Amino acid sequence: MRGFMPMRRAAVVAIAGALVAWHAPAQAQNNKTVLIPCVCELSGAGAVSGTNYRDGAHIAVNEINAAGGILGHKIVMHDYDTQTNPMVSRALVQKVVDAGAYVVMGTVYSGSTDVNMLVTEHAGVPQITGSEAPDITQKGDPYIFRTSSGSEKDIPALVDYFTQTLKVKKVAVEWVQNDFGKGGHDLFVQAIRKAGVQVVADVPSEQGQVDFSPDVAKIKQSGAQAVFVYVNEEEAARFLKEAKKQALTVPLVGDVTLTDQKVIELAGPAAEGAIAHVGLTVSAPVPSIQEFVAKFRKIYHHNTDHNGIKGYIGVYAIKYVTEMIGTFDRKAFAAKMHGLTLDAKKYPGMLLTTSWDKTGELSRESFMTQVKGGKAVVIATIPAN
Amino acid sequence: MRGHREAIGVAVVVAALIVAPLGQGNYIAYLLCSWLMLAIAAMGLNLTLGYAGRISLAQASFIGIGAYATSIVTLAHYPWVLGMAVGVVLCFVVGLLLGFPALRVRGHYLAFVTLAFNSLFFLVARNEDWLTGGTYGLSGMPRPRIGPVSTSGQLAFYYFTLAVALLAAVVLRLIVRSPWGRAFKALRENEVRAESLGLDVRRLTLLAFAIGSAYGGLAGAIEAPLVQYIDPGSFDVVQSLSLLLMVVVGGLGEFWGPVLGSAVAVLLPEALRVTAAYYLMLYAIAVILLMTRCPGGLIGLARRIAARPARRRGAAVS
Repeated sequence: MRGFMPMRRAAVVAIAGALVAWHAPAQAQNNKTVLIPCVCELSGAGAVSGTNYRDGAHIAVNEINAAGGILGHKIVMHDYDTQTNPMVSRALVQKVVDAGAYVVMGTVYSGSTDVNMLVTEHAGVPQITGSEAPDITQKGDPYIFRTSSGSEKDIPALVDYFTQTLKVKKVAVEWVQNDFGKGGHDLFVQAIRKAGVQVVADVPSEQGQVDFSPDVAKIKQSGAQAVFVYVNEEEAARFLKEAKKQALTVPLVGDVTLTDQKVIELAGPAAEGAIAHVGLTVSAPVPSIQEFVAKFRKIYHHNTDHNGIKGYIGVYAIKYVTEMIGTFDRKAFAAKMHGLTLDAKKYPGMLLTTSWDKTGELSRESFMTQVKGGKAVVIATIPAN
Repeated sequence: MRGHREAIGVAVVVAALIVAPLGQGNYIAYLLCSWLMLAIAAMGLNLTLGYAGRISLAQASFIGIGAYATSIVTLAHYPWVLGMAVGVVLCFVVGLLLGFPALRVRGHYLAFVTLAFNSLFFLVARNEDWLTGGTYGLSGMPRPRIGPVSTSGQLAFYYFTLAVALLAAVVLRLIVRSPWGRAFKALRENEVRAESLGLDVRRLTLLAFAIGSAYGGLAGAIEAPLVQYIDPGSFDVVQSLSLLLMVVVGGLGEFWGPVLGSAVAVLLPEALRVTAAYYLMLYAIAVILLMTRCPGGLIGLARRIAARPARRRGAAVS
């Protein structure tokens, strides 16, 4: 009895405490700070992309704060893990909007952005996404902005590479059945057929697929002269390993992910020779990008991929645009971003000169890369379209 | 006396649920809606698994059927009630059909049959673009109107969800306290004995699946206007396993078990976010400890704590 009563009292105190905490104000905001939360994939299938995006963003935040912040306000950036779950991502974006976010950084996975951009649009909060699925900027949302171009911008460059550089007449397509993969697949198949190239094997795969042996066998039997590979990072590494195992010798060409640093690390020697069109690459022969890559390695003791660059330039874009409008006005911010070009010479944090159109779609110089000696090397530079 | 105490407890919980989102932002209201929605689905699974003893790894697919039916109907500018009714009836019928294999197989085999059904639903939702929107899913579902009152605001939608969840709980309570409920339990405890007492095992098994699935459909009818975006990935096997976890963590075959289990699954990770990168690890450790130390789930744990002073008192008297 004696032991039980204090326990019961303790329970009452705990419940009362929980109720007080529940009803406490969400988050006290200092006048001299601005809240720019990072909502991204820190666990689950998208963790590779999300953590790099977050880490890149934090480098920019630290640099900007060290230089006095934005309009004298220090950036406060908290991280929120979506678990690569669209429903969780929506809840978290709602949370940061409630907390008074000025701009939201993230998410990277298109499936999550499709869901959570509804919240920022409704609340009128600008959102800087790392997603690349075409539909993101086709919904008429005035508050969504990309940090790398969508598939619809990349596909023409890829089609040119297949038809003019490789000069192939038969291609196979390996793609992942999610928002990212389906968007790119549909655009590519339509464009390559229009260019007079025959698609001899169209092989869909699952997100998280482990065994790519049937896929590679089918492609090998199809007589394709080159393969377009459009899958996420981990799956890209597994595909490359299987292609090497089955001695698939035709050129393997992808978009964004295939020559990603993480893919090269995971696939090892199997990644040698893989080719990809990338909007951003850590191997770009641009001094500002190389400087960023070295900085990232020094801070986090590992190499970043293009998502780290996306996070970095996203935060700098927020700084430059806010300083242009001279106030923390979300509506004015979104209006200024539409049709804006940030020249890398004048705005060095952008690393490359970048433009946004009226849908939030992005344009800038891009690269064709090939894995040589365990590194993605730029083999051609494609001007902004 | 026990019933009286339970009624007071329920009244206190309902009062707490009414005031919980007041003064909070939309995030808390959204989180509570997610919890209530999952609690409805878990209640259905608890009826099939906890009361009737038939495992189902397809509950997410029934949430999906309810969500797609509601989305398609409301996007065509018909009222939410119609969409919900279509979804629930569809789930009842499909659940009834899924119950037939349960008449022939048990345990792991039944788990695999239901797992296969969930995968089948996922593939249909992804490949039938003309109906489901395929990989891109469906978006922009309107929130329901109750007469002149719109539930488009997060708080209004929370109270709407709370009302639906309470109604679903009351109906389930009536079912499990009726002769049907006792028959479900008899089926779980000893099927041969239940049959020898004159119970129609075939009809009960099918009903357990059908009613449990209909609850999944009702949860889906809430999810569609809550998230306002659905795609096949939201209803995959992982989600079914997560619902199973909610039922087991709460307490299998306990009426309030799924409500507590879903609260743990939705609210505990949020509460643990203060621990930054460790929150999922802590959540996993908490679940492992609970399951190893108290297989009866949270309700079982509460019973053990409540029984301790009584045992001590008994020992003192003796």
